[in-house]
Amino acid sequence: MLRDITTKTLRDQGRAFAGWGVAIVLLVAMYVAIWPSMRDQPAMSDFIDQMPEAFRNLFATSGADMSTPVGYLQIELLSFMAPILVILYAVTAGSAAVAGEESRRTLDLLVTAPVSRRRLVLEKTLAMVIGTVGLSALLGLALVVEGRFADMSLPTADVAAAMLHLALLGLVFGGVALAIGCATGSPGLSKGIPAVLAVVTYIVNGLGGMVSWLEPLQKYSPFYQYAAHDPLRTGVSWPAVVVAFVTVVVLVVVAVLGFERRDVHN
Amino acid sequence: MGSVITAEGLTKAFGATVALRDLTLEVQPGEVFGYLGPNGAGKTTTLRLIMGLIRPTTGSVSVLGMDAWRDAVPIHARVGYVPGELVLYDRLTGYDHVDYLAALRGGTRPARVDQLAEQLDLDLRRPARELSRGNRQKVALVLALMTEPELLVLDEPTGGLDPMVQRTVQGLILDHAAGGGAVLLSSHVLGEVQRVASRIGVLRAGRLVAVERLDDLRAKSLHHVEVQFAEAVPAGILDPVPDLRDVTVDGSSLRCSAPQSSLDAVLKVVSAHPVVDFACAEAELEETFLAYYGAGETDAA
Repeated sequence: MLRDITTKTLRDQGRAFAGWGVAIVLLVAMYVAIWPSMRDQPAMSDFIDQMPEAFRNLFATSGADMSTPVGYLQIELLSFMAPILVILYAVTAGSAAVAGEESRRTLDLLVTAPVSRRRLVLEKTLAMVIGTVGLSALLGLALVVEGRFADMSLPTADVAAAMLHLALLGLVFGGVALAIGCATGSPGLSKGIPAVLAVVTYIVNGLGGMVSWLEPLQKYSPFYQYAAHDPLRTGVSWPAVVVAFVTVVVLVVVAVLGFERRDVHN
Repeated sequence: MGSVITAEGLTKAFGATVALRDLTLEVQPGEVFGYLGPNGAGKTTTLRLIMGLIRPTTGSVSVLGMDAWRDAVPIHARVGYVPGELVLYDRLTGYDHVDYLAALRGGTRPARVDQLAEQLDLDLRRPARELSRGNRQKVALVLALMTEPELLVLDEPTGGLDPMVQRTVQGLILDHAAGGGAVLLSSHVLGEVQRVASRIGVLRAGRLVAVERLDDLRAKSLHHVEVQFAEAVPAGILDPVPDLRDVTVDGSSLRCSAPQSSLDAVLKVVSAHPVVDFACAEAELEETFLAYYGAGETDAA
């Protein structure tokens, strides 16, 4: 279990991961359990249709139909709750990677071992990726398996596509947390800045379709890459995957360069 | 074989604060170098520069012939380090720490670990959060010593240890040096290093103010001299004798502190007068050290 930094970090995250996993399974169970009563309430769809457009854009993916399982999940789970969970997990892991160990002062043990700072950051990144992808996969699995109990027919391939985009969304913000933590060593900044950034980009994406001056910015929001193409219905958008992937890679490079160049605080 | 540590003009500033100024220092193989100074004098800064944790502002420090910042990885494979503010992973046991750091060094648990733990009377099966400060310190020592490195960099390694264990640690340090290894040992009191160090450096407010062989310091060791004369003696009676300290002449009694080299001259002056009583006792080395390098021990700079 203590063969390298990645397995050690995954072991540290193990308890948190178990907690998050249980929360996700229960959350999905709750949504699935409510589904039958929602389906039989055409009024729900009317209600959403009657919501002010700005509201509908912010809290529901536009064009979703509440009377189908896919539309229901898109509105209820994937447009708000799931991103929050996955982003929180990834940001926590990204911040803990270097800034967290540094503020607890255990980083000295690692940096004075014969391990380069680059390898340290990359191994920590790998742990963050495994945890975030694992959590997204668990959510997808919960959706498909638990959905069967409630007669929700969910296309497995499209659920997988949505989870891929969800994991990448989490990793973009986790990458921001990692880069800031590596460059500054501050756990506060490395959690706070990604959180603010997530809120801002969420709003930009939600309102970009209506507010003319936000429109050109909309495409730059990671939430746009995540859901604008409706992954639960249309599958993977490779351009969106590439954009998110390249963003994460750039952030990891920034993290490595930032950490290689600075003093470790004591 | 060259120096194990070579610092040249090594300077480190944190913002406007200069923590270490223009340090030039060499530590040789087989040598235990005692690095002394009050808290805040720059000892930890120096050790962190040597370990490549922080980068010099100007100047350079090389370890085993390599640059401490650029070549940190190959250096770390050959150096053992005990940080001053040691923190372990709370949930991991001593053995977990040993195995983790051994794995990062590309190996498995060294055979020496159990022997070290036994010498230090340490239970490696307990998680770090249950350990006392002294026991955590012992874990750190095991981690630093287990791979039999060529250089030990120890930042106040015996703080928190009881005197018996301090002796054991001193024994380990001496064994290490006897085997040709070098040791840089920081402390804020001479007493902790005098039994093992061959040379000491004194750091104050970021500057190295003295480097001295411990044997030379011992030669300068002060003797407290007290004389009771049969009659009053002139107040300036000892003025011709050099290097005396704390001279007080009060009627027929005289006191002073004299280095070994001045004792003969003192005796010759004293014996010219009728003496009732004479006492001469060697002071603790610590006192000699303070006499030469000031009592600024509490002035954290």
